[in-house]
Amino acid sequence: MTAQTTHPPMARTPRAWKKDIERFALLGAWAVLIAIFAVAVPDTFLTWRTFSSMFGSQAVLVVLALAVLVPLTAGDFDLSAANVLVFSAMLIAVTNVQLGLPIGLSIVLAIGIGALIGAVNAFFILFFRIHSLIITLGVGTFLQGLTLWMSQSRTISGISMDLVEVVVIQRLFGIPLAFYYGLALALIMWWVLEYTIAGRKLLFVGRGREVARLNGVKVDRVRVMSLVTSSTLAAIAGVLYAGMTGSADPNSGSGLLLPAFAAAFLGATTLYPGRFNPLGTLLSVYFLITGITGLTMLGADAFVQSLFYGGALVVAVSLSQLVRGRQPQSFG
Amino acid sequence: MKNSNAIWLLPLLLPLLLPTLAQADAMSDAQDLIAQHRIIPDFVPQGEPFDARACMADKKVFSIPVTMTVPFAVALEDAMSRAAADVGFEYTVWETQGGMDSYIQGVDQAVTQGYDLIDLAGGLNPEVIGPQLMQAKDAGAMITTTHLYDETQEQADFVDASAKVPFSSVGKVLAAWAYVQTEGAPNVLIIGSDDVLPSLPFVESIQTQLTEYCPDCAQQYLNVPLAEWGTRIQSGVQSALLANPDINYIIPIYDSMTQFVTPALRIAGADVPMASFNGTPFVLDMVREGTVEMDIGESLGWAGYAAVDAQMRVLCGLPVPEDLGVPLVIFDKSNVETTGIPANFDDGYGDAHIAGFRALWMLE
Repeated sequence: MTAQTTHPPMARTPRAWKKDIERFALLGAWAVLIAIFAVAVPDTFLTWRTFSSMFGSQAVLVVLALAVLVPLTAGDFDLSAANVLVFSAMLIAVTNVQLGLPIGLSIVLAIGIGALIGAVNAFFILFFRIHSLIITLGVGTFLQGLTLWMSQSRTISGISMDLVEVVVIQRLFGIPLAFYYGLALALIMWWVLEYTIAGRKLLFVGRGREVARLNGVKVDRVRVMSLVTSSTLAAIAGVLYAGMTGSADPNSGSGLLLPAFAAAFLGATTLYPGRFNPLGTLLSVYFLITGITGLTMLGADAFVQSLFYGGALVVAVSLSQLVRGRQPQSFG
Repeated sequence: MKNSNAIWLLPLLLPLLLPTLAQADAMSDAQDLIAQHRIIPDFVPQGEPFDARACMADKKVFSIPVTMTVPFAVALEDAMSRAAADVGFEYTVWETQGGMDSYIQGVDQAVTQGYDLIDLAGGLNPEVIGPQLMQAKDAGAMITTTHLYDETQEQADFVDASAKVPFSSVGKVLAAWAYVQTEGAPNVLIIGSDDVLPSLPFVESIQTQLTEYCPDCAQQYLNVPLAEWGTRIQSGVQSALLANPDINYIIPIYDSMTQFVTPALRIAGADVPMASFNGTPFVLDMVREGTVEMDIGESLGWAGYAAVDAQMRVLCGLPVPEDLGVPLVIFDKSNVETTGIPANFDDGYGDAHIAGFRALWMLE
């Protein structure tokens, strides 16, 4: 005799609705924001030129946010990412402008050294069992010193226009190619995290290292790969940064670290709530720049932009927590 | 009869002619101002000669720069050290990477080692370490600032003298340049940083001068705090250009801002020229490459000697001249190569100041 169980027709429970609202809340908020600015500055905001300009300008931040997202998913912080970005841009400037290396070789060198920096981070974190915050903070500061030394504290301009061409001058549908590089990376990362064993292992390690280890996941290897990927992506962000400005400045790129973390955290409230996810991160970056662009068009003071940036992050994460019944957060 | 008829018409035509005449006046004024800054002026002593070597024989100066990670501050300190070595007195530079703790440590060091004068160089505001500097004063040290205040600004009460910078004069030249380059119809985007002390009078002088030349012309101001140049200038300029496509000139008041304006112009697909101030080498290179149209430079070598002149006058009990007489030179495509390839902080201004100051200090 076999027991048969019958399932009632699939009905969406309030909990499922809540989940859906949470998933798409930021997308909705973005639409509302666009609508508000479309009404407030109708002639200029709602034009393709405005959107192509917003999309094209944020590629560096998108790639850097994707870089910090990888170790965050595995439960590690990479505070050296912005310094890797600056170091990589400066290495391109020094090797291309001052040493006369071809731009292609400079880029390969920068990305290769970026990967190496990730391996150094991983070595100290895993061999000595030190928290990633401490090591990446130290390595980042060390890199800052190297960058200042390498550049003699100067901004170096005159990076090959070939790089500038393929980053910001060439366009597709009116949007600089830089946008598509960021988009492609986000899609690749989304696919890796969702559909590959390596991606699932990364998520698993982030959820609980001990559980992952007991299930046969080589936790250390996963963490090494996440840190190397992070630094490599940060170096790629540095390549884009050099291509955006055609120059390298030893200081200013490090200001991108907090916006990158903000985008990663804000992204974790949307599409796959409670999980760092590349598409959510992409969405957050463009949500934030939409606010900044609209406010600037309205002539808002500089401090209003900071209020919006910080306020949006705190409000979004808090609302997301409210919808989730204020459960303790376990990002990863 | 014909002539008298024409005279009768004059009062009627005058209201129509006045704006054109005023514009012609403004244009010629602006061109004159620009012409004055195209030449390297001769050295003009700004104070009475004095025997610097005798007066400074037992004196020593301690200089705290805002940070030695900025090439501008390094070049300024190098020039001041050279001037002090020329006179032959002890001049110590506090090798700081910036930060309140390091500034305080520097002041302590200067007091402990009995320096006669503490100079804050390259934009370090004395107010931020006011209590420590007042203690240093109580211990007998004099306090000066170099390259911080605008010529129109008052120094802090406890500061004995300041080598001020003619930011307001620079502002007038930048406004004149934009006015001439746009053929009398400027629609200018000014980018500044209100958190940098001299920015307010600097920006105000650009705005006032532009309004004087052309009362009906549009101008817009974008304020980006110093720490956010790398993240906010680009998006701010893009938004401004999208909101107002008629902008025909951009004036980032400090030339290091230009590197973040360039990608904004590329992304927005706008071909708007820009002019700036500081004479930073990489921006002069950008002038040579055509990315920036004009950069006003000041000789840091000259500024360093002028600052040491002010410091020595304080220590020797002499009056410090209000105007330090450091020339401002316009660099555009026509003369930028005089600053070197690649450009540097010192070339392009001549070296009249060295002989001039040596004579003023009775070294020759």
